[in-house]
Amino acid sequence: MSTSALVRWFCHVYSLLLYAYPRQFRLQYGGEMQQVFRDRCSYVVRTQGRRRLFRFAIHSAADWMTTTFREGTDTLVEAAPRAVRHLRSVWVTGRKRAPRGFVAEWAMTILIYLFATTTLVQAYVVPTGSMETTLRIGDHMLVDRMAYADPGSVGRHLLPYREIRRGDIVAFTYPEDVRETYVKRVMGLPGDHIRLINKQVMRNGRLLVEPYTQHISAVREPYRDDFPIAPDAFTTPRGRAMFEHDVRNGEVVVPPGKLFVMGDNRDNSADSRSWGFVPREYVVGKPLVVYWSYDAPTEELQEWSVGHVLDVTLHFFSKTRWDRMFLVPRSQAAQETGGTQ
Amino acid sequence: MTKTQSPQELLPLTPPVFHILLALVDEERHGYGIMQDVARQTDDALQLGPGTLYGCLKRMLAAGLVEESEERPDPELDDQRRRYYRMTPLGQSVVRAEAQRLANAVVAARSKRLLERAKPNLAGGKA
Repeated sequence: MSTSALVRWFCHVYSLLLYAYPRQFRLQYGGEMQQVFRDRCSYVVRTQGRRRLFRFAIHSAADWMTTTFREGTDTLVEAAPRAVRHLRSVWVTGRKRAPRGFVAEWAMTILIYLFATTTLVQAYVVPTGSMETTLRIGDHMLVDRMAYADPGSVGRHLLPYREIRRGDIVAFTYPEDVRETYVKRVMGLPGDHIRLINKQVMRNGRLLVEPYTQHISAVREPYRDDFPIAPDAFTTPRGRAMFEHDVRNGEVVVPPGKLFVMGDNRDNSADSRSWGFVPREYVVGKPLVVYWSYDAPTEELQEWSVGHVLDVTLHFFSKTRWDRMFLVPRSQAAQETGGTQ
Repeated sequence: MTKTQSPQELLPLTPPVFHILLALVDEERHGYGIMQDVARQTDDALQLGPGTLYGCLKRMLAAGLVEESEERPDPELDDQRRRYYRMTPLGQSVVRAEAQRLANAVVAARSKRLLERAKPNLAGGKA
């Protein structure tokens, strides 16, 4: 995403978040707050760069949380005598009419909180090393859930949406176990022909040069490195189905509505090679920013234990990878070389 | 609750309110101008988010410390949608009283040798 698109996206999200403020406050100041936010975003980008922009966004999010709460409480306090009077009149006369400002404002605030955490972004921890070194074990990041969510024909023009491209990093629901979320790189779109020749990917007849990958083993393993030959012991039933239906002339052909994904840590990644395609509708979103990176083993990241809390408390400063803070995982297109084999 | 109130009753001010008033001492500004000036005053230590800024302005308007300005001080950069804020006489006396209160606190701190003598070098900030 270009920087100006990023600023636009932030402003867009911010304008939605403004709805969490009490109605009166929003009508009075919402427009100006939006303008101030936009001005500050452009200023930060111009003078301090992109990384500071994320810091400002996080700062604004914290500001939003505390001030929505504060303004909401204010409204509540102002509305309380009226509400009490109202309740008394309901009690006496038996009339029923919900006191606005009392219930409605808080319902709106809570709704927006829920909306923000379920629709806009999702927090995610990288539990395994299959995307090393692009993403590392213990990277805590926010996933942008709007990026690839199909908003329909009208929303397409209003929302920041784009098609998935080759080389994009995507978060998706793991097809073998829908409780888990995985992050991998998209290698094949529907219709693409894919095979590996001695660890190198050939897509649609062209060998790819992929600067973002890592190979940790010098050994050439036929299943992993000269894919697809034949299913091996680790191929899951979904993987076997792919071998059965979607391999033609020694190449995987990605069917409509599916994606072929692989980890950047090619020699140590369980990906589409072993468990098949990712259905398009399983894609959750796009990694937005690493907000915290902590050096801890896989098991501890999947479930918080007492030991892990203690570990974080004691080693927060030494085990946090500060250089990864506010890192933006980028999609990167592989270079296609003309050479075919 | 406007001009009859004595400035002393409103002290101490919260840091955002104090710095917003400081920003309005020399000229009237719009919201973004206030935000930038506060960041400049405090060397980026106090960054007002939009919610804090307008929440404070709302309370300050209610307390009569600031008012909306009808004039457009900067026709070059004018934008119809922006509202400009200016300090009221009450705001002026409140910010002065608060500055005096802080100055007294500094004198007290200096008498206990917490600060350097004479003019402390504030630029570094770290002792």
